[in-house]
Amino acid sequence: MQSYDYPHFPDYASNFHFALFTNVSNAADLRNRLVQASTMQGEEGEAERQAVDFAFIEATLICSSLHLRSAILNSVLSQSQGTLRTKTVHSEILWNLNPTNNISDAIRRYGVSPSTTSLIVVRIGPPSPPSTIQAQMQEVVSGTLSPISELKNITDWAKVRKYHKIGQKMDKDPIKDTQKAHEIVLSTVAMKSVVV
Amino acid sequence: MTLYPVLYHSNMSEFNTPTQRIIAAATLISQGAEAKVYKAELHPPAISGSTSDEGYESEPVLIKHRFNKQYRHPTLDASLTKSRVAGEARAINKCLRAGVNVPGVRMVDLQEGVLGIQWIDGQSIRFLLGGGAEGEEEVEEVDDDGFEEDATESNEDSLKEYNITQDDTMQLIGKEIAKMHKADIIHGDLTTSNMMLRRPSASDQVPELVLIDFGLSYTSSLVEDKAVDLYVLERAFASTHPASESLFGTVMKAYEKEAGKEWKTIGRRLDDVRLRGRKRSMIG
Repeated sequence: MQSYDYPHFPDYASNFHFALFTNVSNAADLRNRLVQASTMQGEEGEAERQAVDFAFIEATLICSSLHLRSAILNSVLSQSQGTLRTKTVHSEILWNLNPTNNISDAIRRYGVSPSTTSLIVVRIGPPSPPSTIQAQMQEVVSGTLSPISELKNITDWAKVRKYHKIGQKMDKDPIKDTQKAHEIVLSTVAMKSVVV
Repeated sequence: MTLYPVLYHSNMSEFNTPTQRIIAAATLISQGAEAKVYKAELHPPAISGSTSDEGYESEPVLIKHRFNKQYRHPTLDASLTKSRVAGEARAINKCLRAGVNVPGVRMVDLQEGVLGIQWIDGQSIRFLLGGGAEGEEEVEEVDDDGFEEDATESNEDSLKEYNITQDDTMQLIGKEIAKMHKADIIHGDLTTSNMMLRRPSASDQVPELVLIDFGLSYTSSLVEDKAVDLYVLERAFASTHPASESLFGTVMKAYEKEAGKEWKTIGRRLDDVRLRGRKRSMIG
């Protein structure tokens, strides 16, 4: 798991943590749990929402940690300016990752789905010990906690390119081609607040 | 070397928004009438966890802050700033998709008038051709591993450092502009200061030519606009680099090659523009 402290973020959101899980086996259950948690009543509902208060992101659509961090930066900026488009700062990450303006599309594509096997879990919040957060993450996700450097073997570039409408080859050299596609993805996420 | 100063949350209270705090911690590079330019660190390194997957971790960003203009009505100022920041970001995105080398967008804050773009490690063509530093290049230079260059004795030697000849540099310029025009993007302020050579990562690699500052850019498919764009560059060459006719000639040849059949009409129109200047109509 990676932990970050951003001194320029407001105190209530100055830290964030993200972890990559591979071989995830409970994606379908997790998705149902999230849907149910959102409608549960009373104290029980509060507790359940606390337990799953993370962003769950389909890891095959994330190109790099900078890609993810750009989406997190945008989400915290919106939260601090009171301009969140979705209900929470965590769901805002999904919205920021998706190139179109449709919220349910964003959740369907970038959120957890029954077929998810690689998952990135994000928590944005006030400073708290990384070990506690990691334990909370492992509580809800059954899978192998993997280093974020594994991401480069997981990214599904064909899908990323499809969602970002990068049809043509950007360069003859395959490495440069991917680099340029990555740059388009990064810029698209960073300028999410600008309607293209 | 960490560029990121150690800042404590309590000390930051005088700056209200995250964007203001990013700027407060950044280094001012230059200031114009429209905006201030800073070098900043957007994403600090991890405080715990494995080292990350890419070299982007320590990559600084360039922040262009279109500050409040006291001389304008606040409402007008806010809407102008918003549309300019958005316009610049859109132009960059369009260029990226068309395969033109431009610095990528890293953050946008329309409310604050802030655009954060990828930091390009390199120097402006103006500097490399010995057109004198604009002041900003000198500041940038200090960051490059303690290596400082005297602005007066630059050109040939600095190009050698980039492993490229003057002629090849001109060809890169022509090619990049043609690619941009093919995508119907008009730069609006083509000068040698608005082009940079990116320092190549490996010694055998060819440096990339990067077009910067899309603050005056717009979209147009008109031959007139493309010809005027080239005319502006020609004048910039002539005024900043004495005896540069042959250099500009090489730029045009590379442009012609990349533009293909489009060149015929653009070239003819460029001749017209040369005769009358960049304003088509003198009727006010």
